[in-house]
Amino acid sequence: MAADDDGDRTKRRGRWVPFGLLSPGMIWLGLFFLLPLVTLARTSLSVKESRFAVDAKFTWEWSNFTNAISDYSEQFVRSFIYAGTATLLCIAIGYPVAYVIAVRGGRYKNALLGLVVVPFFTSFLIRTLAWATVLADNGPVLGMLERLHLVGTLDSLGIVQNGGLLSTHVAVIGGLTYNFLPFMILPIYVSLEKIDLRLTEAAKDLYNNGWQAFRRVVLPLSLPGVFAGSLLTFIPAAGDFVNARFLGGPNNTMIGTVVQDRFLVQLDYPTAAALSFTLMAIITVATLVYARLLGTDDLV
Amino acid sequence: MGAVAGVGLVGPSLLAACGSDDKKTGGNGGAASKSLWFENWPAYIDEETVDLFKQASDLEFRYTESYNDNNEYFAKVQSDLAAGRSIGPDIIAPTYWLTARLINLGWVQEIPFDKIPNAKNLVPQLQNPGWDPDGKFSLPWQSGMTGIAYNIKTTGRELKSMADLFDPAFKGKIGMLTEMRDTVGLVMLLTGEDPATATMDTAEAAFAKIQGAKDSGQVRQFTGNDYMDDLAGGGFAACIGWSGDIGQLALDNPDLRFVIPEEGGMSWSDTMVLPNGTEHVANAAIWMNYVYDPENAARIAEYVGYNSPVAGVQEIFAAGDDFQKALAESPLLFPDAETTARLKVFASLDEDTEAAFDERFSSIVGA
Repeated sequence: MAADDDGDRTKRRGRWVPFGLLSPGMIWLGLFFLLPLVTLARTSLSVKESRFAVDAKFTWEWSNFTNAISDYSEQFVRSFIYAGTATLLCIAIGYPVAYVIAVRGGRYKNALLGLVVVPFFTSFLIRTLAWATVLADNGPVLGMLERLHLVGTLDSLGIVQNGGLLSTHVAVIGGLTYNFLPFMILPIYVSLEKIDLRLTEAAKDLYNNGWQAFRRVVLPLSLPGVFAGSLLTFIPAAGDFVNARFLGGPNNTMIGTVVQDRFLVQLDYPTAAALSFTLMAIITVATLVYARLLGTDDLV
Repeated sequence: MGAVAGVGLVGPSLLAACGSDDKKTGGNGGAASKSLWFENWPAYIDEETVDLFKQASDLEFRYTESYNDNNEYFAKVQSDLAAGRSIGPDIIAPTYWLTARLINLGWVQEIPFDKIPNAKNLVPQLQNPGWDPDGKFSLPWQSGMTGIAYNIKTTGRELKSMADLFDPAFKGKIGMLTEMRDTVGLVMLLTGEDPATATMDTAEAAFAKIQGAKDSGQVRQFTGNDYMDDLAGGGFAACIGWSGDIGQLALDNPDLRFVIPEEGGMSWSDTMVLPNGTEHVANAAIWMNYVYDPENAARIAEYVGYNSPVAGVQEIFAAGDDFQKALAESPLLFPDAETTARLKVFASLDEDTEAAFDERFSSIVGA
């Protein structure tokens, strides 16, 4: 009898274990994600009675959204073009790197991965400021281009503007690509690492050449990594304002710049909240569409 | 503006929380408390003065340099001040227009002038200024001039008018300040309007001119303090700048020049105010009295290179060593009467007008 009771109790207790394990995460998310999100949603539909009022009055003010979108469509479009371009560049640069490390890395694998992560030992801000120094008018990159007499050519391509590399589209996109590249390399590396390379041997036995084996076997199997990497790159890049602030000029501002300005300079919390929500909504839809297209059934 | 206060997805109530983290470390008040906390702009005092004051006063003096941007600082402290809570520092250093806003909102305390005998040394032109008409709530920390800063190596010629900043020869090499009153004020003077009586109507021509320069790529960047790197590095041929900065930079780099445009320049002051909730008013008075002593004021002015609001500093420099004698002659530190007559202080804007100005300027700056 007593033993049975104990067994029941253990079983009953067992049922609560998953909840127990989940609760720290759930409480954390509830307090620091869900609750602020609800506050933000309320703020985005509120009006401030006066400019320096701390609280906004909740009035279902949907015009916050229509105004935010119509006033800042330029920055929205620019943010998505910058983030999209940076993501594509990250794939173009990151995939070969991940491939070489995973397939040809051999005993240097860990060292190479370490090198990918090394820039992260300094802060995001410092890395961006370092880029600003490198691209500055008296910096090494422009100096080298001048010595190679390439400035004129690059100017006609729009990469150099008014004799400078900073305050251009290229500088901001370059900064985004640089800052988020490791987020692309690491997931692609993980997905490539898991592939059993004997599959490519099998493909070659079936009369595929090297390129076909890659395209038909390796590439499809690594798509989940590309998908994850794209999300990790695109989403933060679209909302970023640091790169636009330090590498761009007044014609390269992104939506993050606007949100920052609305919150901290204009004290216009409702518009800032509406902008943030619009950004989240667009990113959510884009992610869902992207997931559909790439087929994420066997995502890890 | 060294660092960026990046707060993306945070509600206003959470934003407020950022401002209050140091609150408990400020000491626990009381009349006998020895603590005092002054939060000032970066590089706005020599370290020696801080140390000397600690020795002379026997106070636990805490001097921080986290005041980086007027708007961001206001956003950080406004909910505490609105709720009547202490923000932590006993003295802060808002620029004159923010001082006016804080006074109008009733968020700052009267300065105990009866405990500050040296306040009599305040120069006459800063007594009862536009931002504090009764002169009860603020005491200037330093004043300065806004004009054109340029690197003669990049421009190849001396500049004298704001029109030079719109010269196509300098396309993409021009910087303007994110400080709205400085940039708009100088361009208003170019368009023949008086910034001291600015309205949205009289400022419109200036806004349109700045907008055009931004759209065409004439303006490379709108900056805060960081314009100095661009100017020294050749990224900017010319920009709108502050007198004291250029005075300091020119010591290392004689190519850097500063000029009050022939149309006129802007004058501004950063002030010391006592935010509501401050318990160490008496200690703050000891500090203010200390820095309004001409000897101490001279030491500070020698380091920061702006216009000291304390009378007698020039005489002390004139009697000092060679470096100080040169400072006494410097038009940046002690502008002559002719220059002073050409300086304007931007109009006091009421809440709605200020919002309209900020909004318009923001839309040009690109955010």
